[in-house]
Amino acid sequence: MERTLDPAAVNRAAEASGLEQIGVRPGLLRYLKDLWTRRSFIQVLAVSKAQAENQNTYLGQVWALLSPLLNALVYVVIFGFILQVGRAGIENTIAFIVVGVFMFRFFERSVMAGAHSINHNLALVRSVKFPRAVLPIAGVLAELASLGPALVVMVLISYLSGFLPIAGRVTIDVYWLLLPAAVALLWIFSTGCAFLVARWVALTPDLDNLLPHIMRVLMYASGVIFSVDRYLGDFSWGWIVEYQPVAVYLYLVRSSILDEPAYPPDLSMWLLGIGWAALFVIAGFLVFWRGEERYGRD
Amino acid sequence: MTDIEEVDFEVDQEDLDAAPVPAGSGTGGLSLLVNDLHVTYRVFGAKKVGHGPGRKQGTIGRLLSRGARQPAVREVKAIRGISFAADHGESIGIIGVNGSGKSTLLRAIAGLIPPASGTVHVASSPALLGVNAVLMKDLTGERNIMIGSLAMGLTKAEVKQRYQEIVDFAEIGDFVNLPMKAYSSGMGARLRFAISASTVPDILMIDEALATGDAGFRAKSKAKMAEIRESAGTVFLVSHSLATIKSMCTRVLWVHEGKLVMDGPPDVVCARYKRFVEQSRKRATA
Repeated sequence: MERTLDPAAVNRAAEASGLEQIGVRPGLLRYLKDLWTRRSFIQVLAVSKAQAENQNTYLGQVWALLSPLLNALVYVVIFGFILQVGRAGIENTIAFIVVGVFMFRFFERSVMAGAHSINHNLALVRSVKFPRAVLPIAGVLAELASLGPALVVMVLISYLSGFLPIAGRVTIDVYWLLLPAAVALLWIFSTGCAFLVARWVALTPDLDNLLPHIMRVLMYASGVIFSVDRYLGDFSWGWIVEYQPVAVYLYLVRSSILDEPAYPPDLSMWLLGIGWAALFVIAGFLVFWRGEERYGRD
Repeated sequence: MTDIEEVDFEVDQEDLDAAPVPAGSGTGGLSLLVNDLHVTYRVFGAKKVGHGPGRKQGTIGRLLSRGARQPAVREVKAIRGISFAADHGESIGIIGVNGSGKSTLLRAIAGLIPPASGTVHVASSPALLGVNAVLMKDLTGERNIMIGSLAMGLTKAEVKQRYQEIVDFAEIGDFVNLPMKAYSSGMGARLRFAISASTVPDILMIDEALATGDAGFRAKSKAKMAEIRESAGTVFLVSHSLATIKSMCTRVLWVHEGKLVMDGPPDVVCARYKRFVEQSRKRATA
């Protein structure tokens, strides 16, 4: 039994009965409004995800602290003490690497959470209708929730490492108050990146395999474990590496809590950080929204 | 996929004419309008789509044939051009053999799977009620109730208000505080049904929900569905039970291989469908 209706007739009939077409992308304003009404959904989803993260282990949430700690320890030992690349131009290598690793780990995990936000939640996407932007936002928010306690550990280690004879002092000063702002900017930037990769990976799953390698390159290009300025600053393209977003956010966090002479608090870096965050979150959101009607089909 | 011509659906012209006039009648009672709907799935790593075993090949032949001839991505056309209209107050059954595209059709109408082409117009956002509404198995039942209800658009206060009702209805007791992967399949299905049944939408879609749980729960869910059905405007019901369809629906769509075969009153369509199933069974045993 084959029958098709004339699209014009369909539109007329739909209009006459006040019907709305579904399966089409809603307008930007409407989408934002929908998103806003689901804010408690985002919050619950994020908290639940953060809680579920480590529940299959005996130590449970302790791993939220232990994993970044062990991660940092490996880098401190290898790059700080054995290869010594983390020492050039840096006074407190331990604090420098710990801050870098903790913050970069948050960024990396946020991007991966964004990448998997559609594909790993297909069951949810295919059974309930809601603005799909909820998923990448909640994924990054879950990472932020587990970053909270880790941040305390990070600050504590940085401060205590200052008492070691081999390391430069870390003093508590008024700039510490800027730490939440720096983390907030990194969070906004990460959400923007999560939007971008969420769409790309949802439509081309192969990119998921490339992401870890891109992240690895980014890690070495952002001065997570060594000073980019010291190693790459002499190249003519060194400024690209120094002012790319991830390096900027690492700079901001370090300038807030560390006393490194090479990382003084710098207003232009803050402005750059705000600019990158705004650019990525707006562009990312638009890119994600433009694919809205396609998520869940594949 | 190509054997559709061999199947004799025995549709007479008067049956087609008996089908309700789809669109443009301007009655104002229209609640849903589907026109030339196509849904395709992208499937990765599928070598062969269709029925029967693949061509037998030796190892070398298999290695050689790996290439452009068998693309890594195949498209499965689950719905291939379906059009119909539904009025307020209608309850429509959808029947068809396994894999005919019934569930996909429901999901596409509910706006959960974007159509490849064609349009779906609705009076209000439809809700899909089903046991397939998989939530997150790593999370506790309590979390899943929160997430499922919030995703459906309830506010936090409304969820709190209905929470106990959902738990009681699902009969999961203390298990509500355990991760859903610890649930038996029946418990999981009951919880999903209870969550999706907690709201009363204008357009309701039920996907084999009656097959959930033991006899006691089945009776309960049937009562609940009748209650929702009375307050909902338009109801869609996918079921393999012709008795259920006949007792609940005012109209039946028969879907086969992604296409609409018949659209008409339950008695007529069910009788034809039954004959078709018996015939194909006979053909299979012959």
